[in-house]
Amino acid sequence: MIKTRGLTKRFGDVFAVDNLSLDVAEGEVFGLLGPNGAGKTTTVRLLTCLIAPTAGEAWVNGHRVGEEDMAIRQCVGILTEAPGLYERLNAEQNLTLYAKLYGVNDVGGQVQKYLDMLGLWERRTEPVGSFSKGMKQKLAIARALIHEPRVLFLDEPTSALDPEAAKLVRDFILEVKGEGRTIFLCTHNLDEADRLCDRIAVMRQHLIQVDTPAGLRQSLYGRKVVLQLQEISQAVLSTVRALPFVHQAQEEDRKLIVSLDDPEAQNPILVRHVVEAGGAVQFLTEQRHSLEEVYFTLMREEGETLSAGQEAPR
Amino acid sequence: MNARLWAIMEKEWLEMRRNKMVLITMALIPILLVGLVLGTTFFMQRMPESEVIGNDAPPIPPQLQNLDPKTAFIIMMNDQYMFYFMLIPMTLPVYMAAYSIIGEKETKSLEPLLATPIATWELLTGKSIAAVTPAVALTWLSFAVMAVGARFIATDAVFLALVRPVWLAGMAVLSPLFACLSVLSGVIASSRLNDPRAAQQLTGIFIVPVIALSLAVLAGKIFVDVQVVLYSAMVLVLINLLVLYFAVKLFQRETILTRWK
Repeated sequence: MIKTRGLTKRFGDVFAVDNLSLDVAEGEVFGLLGPNGAGKTTTVRLLTCLIAPTAGEAWVNGHRVGEEDMAIRQCVGILTEAPGLYERLNAEQNLTLYAKLYGVNDVGGQVQKYLDMLGLWERRTEPVGSFSKGMKQKLAIARALIHEPRVLFLDEPTSALDPEAAKLVRDFILEVKGEGRTIFLCTHNLDEADRLCDRIAVMRQHLIQVDTPAGLRQSLYGRKVVLQLQEISQAVLSTVRALPFVHQAQEEDRKLIVSLDDPEAQNPILVRHVVEAGGAVQFLTEQRHSLEEVYFTLMREEGETLSAGQEAPR
Repeated sequence: MNARLWAIMEKEWLEMRRNKMVLITMALIPILLVGLVLGTTFFMQRMPESEVIGNDAPPIPPQLQNLDPKTAFIIMMNDQYMFYFMLIPMTLPVYMAAYSIIGEKETKSLEPLLATPIATWELLTGKSIAAVTPAVALTWLSFAVMAVGARFIATDAVFLALVRPVWLAGMAVLSPLFACLSVLSGVIASSRLNDPRAAQQLTGIFIVPVIALSLAVLAGKIFVDVQVVLYSAMVLVLINLLVLYFAVKLFQRETILTRWK
């Protein structure tokens, strides 16, 4: 649905996006993570044909960026970092304008559908300037969806929202995801990315890593299970360490932290060997690293790479 | 009409309606001018001829020499006002034009707007027509009020001079075209400068050549009749199209989105 190859955007001597190659599948929620100035918003602007790439190629819904810009604009919806609504106009007028700009057939019906869906129908005649931040953000999302786009770009959809409004917006994104649309989500909120995204790309001008949230964890930390035993004997420890699929086994109080590749298949064998070696298993859980830990590890490694004077991967 | 262009115009008018101060300040100049024309006519007609003309009588143009000097003098005065009348639509929408793009950028509504499949010419034309229309409508309305008022307070000769074909043609075609020129210049300024005050001042400069031209007409250096008005209108249509072409060429989406803070 979205494909970029060597996509690059330079402002003067500064690379805002450098050699970015991505593939986003249809119906996928794809997260783009990175610090401020990492090029996330520039990437969205490139893919929505708001700015032109300096080098590289990109396709959205089969249309090539730079050649079929009007077709791309017609099939994508965008939620910009600031809602950018017309505050003197009311909610209905804001949506009606965009429905007409996108050439929607049933303007009134579409406007009512989204105002209803977001609980704004009752307040449709009030000027948007009187709305709360959360209501404005909901209206901006409705505006991005008014023409039923196949691809939705969301740039920081929950920034500056209170937890309640942010949850409302997140729930709505999940609802939209359920409709099979492709969602390209830029966010600083790692927890949000973890909850919403099928895959996540971490970038800092160039792509650092892209994978599923679980894949990112595994690639950095591997998968680990924690066995809590009544007592960890030397026999249990030796048995576990001798198993061919165990990469590492660490003892921590009465916990045995074991690195595995495929816990779903290997846990039963592991437990059987522990029990046979005389261990009394009390609990077995998977050790999870937060996406925040993954993100900071990636950023630290990236910083070390750059400070070591090595050229950033291109 | 193109649906996207119409949508932009509707949006601009809705915003204008919500900002009543813009409309009120827009209406002030035409109202003042109506008052000036009618007031001048009313009082001068009631003053003795010696007071109206004074000792230093201006030369009466040949086409008015069959009238009495006082009537000829009142018509000459009103002709000046009529020229200003015709130029009102040039000045009224300057602020709106200067703010058209900068305003969208300031309220951060430009980015989602440019992400829609709207073409640059549709956006700029929609904004320009939306700014020109109320100014021209107000001018025509005040011209009509002035004509009706003059019918009651002016002599036949003065009234007929006010509504003679050259002014009617001027108001009908030249006024809107001058207004379009001024607004398009304002839109160019608005899409090239990131400060509304600077854009407004620059738009003011675009108006200077037209005012210079009008002074030449008032000074009798250029004679204007219906034919001249119609030829001027044709030239103005071409100039407007040319300015629109340059406005579209000079509109740099990327610079506006990425460089303006």
